[in-house]
Amino acid sequence: MLGLLVKKQLSEIFKEYFVNSKKNVKRSKLSVCLMFFIFALVVVGFIGGMNAFISDVICTAFCSIDLTWLYFSIFALLSILLGVFGSVFSTYSGLYLAKDNDLLLSMPIPVGYIVISRIINVYLMGALYSAVAFIPCVIVYFIKMGFSFPVLVGCTVMLVEVTVIVLVLSCLLGWAVAKISKKLKNKSFITVIISLVFIAVYYVFYFKAQEILSNVIENAAKYGKIIKESAGIIYFFGKCGEGDALAVAVSVAVSVILPVITIFVLSKTFLKLAISTGGQKKKVYVEKAEKQSSVGLALFKKELAGFTSSANYMLNCGLGVLLLPAAGIFMLIKGQSYLGSLVASLSLENGVISVVAVAMICLLASMNDMAAPSVSLEGRSLWLTQSLPVSMWCILRAKILLQLVFTLPAVLFCGVCILTAFRLNPISNILIIAVSLAFTVFNSFFGMFLGVKMPNFTWTNEIKPIKQSACVFIALFGAFLYSAAIGGGYFVFRKYLSSEAYLAIVLGITLTLSLILYSYLKTKGTKKFEAF
Amino acid sequence: MLYIENLTKKFGEVNAVCDLSLHINKGEIYGFIGHNGAGKTTTLKSIAGIQDFDNGTIKIGGKSVKDDPIECKKMLAYIPDNPDLYEFMTGIKFLNFIADVYGVSGTERKEKIRNYSERFEITDSLASPISTYSHGMKQKLAIIAAWIHSPRLIIMDEPFVGLDPKA
Repeated sequence: MLGLLVKKQLSEIFKEYFVNSKKNVKRSKLSVCLMFFIFALVVVGFIGGMNAFISDVICTAFCSIDLTWLYFSIFALLSILLGVFGSVFSTYSGLYLAKDNDLLLSMPIPVGYIVISRIINVYLMGALYSAVAFIPCVIVYFIKMGFSFPVLVGCTVMLVEVTVIVLVLSCLLGWAVAKISKKLKNKSFITVIISLVFIAVYYVFYFKAQEILSNVIENAAKYGKIIKESAGIIYFFGKCGEGDALAVAVSVAVSVILPVITIFVLSKTFLKLAISTGGQKKKVYVEKAEKQSSVGLALFKKELAGFTSSANYMLNCGLGVLLLPAAGIFMLIKGQSYLGSLVASLSLENGVISVVAVAMICLLASMNDMAAPSVSLEGRSLWLTQSLPVSMWCILRAKILLQLVFTLPAVLFCGVCILTAFRLNPISNILIIAVSLAFTVFNSFFGMFLGVKMPNFTWTNEIKPIKQSACVFIALFGAFLYSAAIGGGYFVFRKYLSSEAYLAIVLGITLTLSLILYSYLKTKGTKKFEAF
Repeated sequence: MLYIENLTKKFGEVNAVCDLSLHINKGEIYGFIGHNGAGKTTTLKSIAGIQDFDNGTIKIGGKSVKDDPIECKKMLAYIPDNPDLYEFMTGIKFLNFIADVYGVSGTERKEKIRNYSERFEITDSLASPISTYSHGMKQKLAIIAAWIHSPRLIIMDEPFVGLDPKA
């Protein structure tokens, strides 16, 4: 029974890697390999590469002064932070909001089994991020210090323990959000606020951790002694990585006991939280005059209602709305002292600032990808959208507009802040704004293009199209890569091109790509949407 | 009002609808009865313009569903067997959305919403999200939405599923 549930859960997560949902046929082995390769390249490349670099810098220094335990502790803690960050947004809905809750609960299946199958979903997301963050430090250790079987065993146990801690922390937050949101009216917004507070605390802690980490690396011996004496758990935690028998045994016990307690606690409360409709009073309808809206506005309002009613949608696809203004204000206050000084100290020309600013704005704008999952989110109500007496282009346009309405003002604000902070020449100013806005338009079309190309209407939990679908993955990381290419490309071509000329070319390319995507969406894209 | 000539729809090798011809005049009520998988829903979806068909002609009020789908959709209302509506909207927001799309004026919709919601006894629930509705309430809301723009042709697929006897 449990096996069946787990299989169902896993098949939902990895379905897109094995099955072409558009044609409803199995993917070829080559296609499956390619999908996993791209996924691995992006995830391992980004996160793993960064940690491998840090490991490479500190491994020998730490291990040569008998601080191997501290080396492993640092990376385990980093992996926990990353793992929690990776899975926390999906935990609440992953655990409690699946559409097949009623069906499964009506069957003769123990609640604990349903909880376990849901937890596995959460566990895999967290484990993926923590493993990618932790494994490079172990590989670097073996390369630098040589292979050791006890260390291999210790690190394996430590990795399991890390993933278990990530799971417990994610479940704890998911449970807390579920408990709170059941009692509130505006659940989505409250969930978003709670999550944002968590993110803020997380980032404060993360930046502090970086500061502490740099300090610890510089004074490893001194802090190693302090941690060993005053924070025994961290010492013991790190000893497990070294392969210390007692620490390994304790870690194994922790890795078994913690999930058991988590499953027990969640099972006790699952039924109440999953099927409860909340304690709030029912709002009684009071008739009032309604103004007639145009078709375009009505469709936009529908998209807006869909976006604002889902905490998952807002958190996973709209973080740029907050990050762009925050980055703008940060650059306004600290931009000169950070970026300005960096450019001056590296003897780079001022043009670098404008290109880096554009790349940064584009990167943050990439975090708004509402258009990509919007087609899949039609889900079972697709018939309704298709039966409306409007052209399918109007429907796609409303979805694109949602992303533009939320992103363009934020991009503009961030851009103006940067211009104010750096006072560049007028042409650079115009180009920074123009390229950033053009990218925003391109990104909306790109997301919509992928949404139409790779839809999935058969999800049972909205987190699947919002976070775990191939189209969102490609839209997000594709836009990241495009942003990085804008920044990186200049360092390749700056011998031959001024920053203004370079940005003008980027503007031309971005607008051309936007035009191609626009014409595809208006013609073939619309036809595809009609035919779903 | 509805003119179907030689309608054929295949799913792979399976013939879902084969050479169906049917003419329905204004004011007529017509029902399909058949075993499961006979092609009733496929035919209704093809008429509603939400499913492509391989051969034949479907015309509503003289207009072809294939050539002029938007004009056809303006004339009809479709209620599926399973009313999966926009669950993120409240009942009243959904009705206003449908009224906006079909161009129903503010005063006309107000009157109709009041009238139909009272008849179906769901007025009090209109401010609640559709996600909290029972199957029957969703069905009632789908029927009100279908009626709100005074369609010339109404297509209902198993319309009484989930409705209480009074409704």
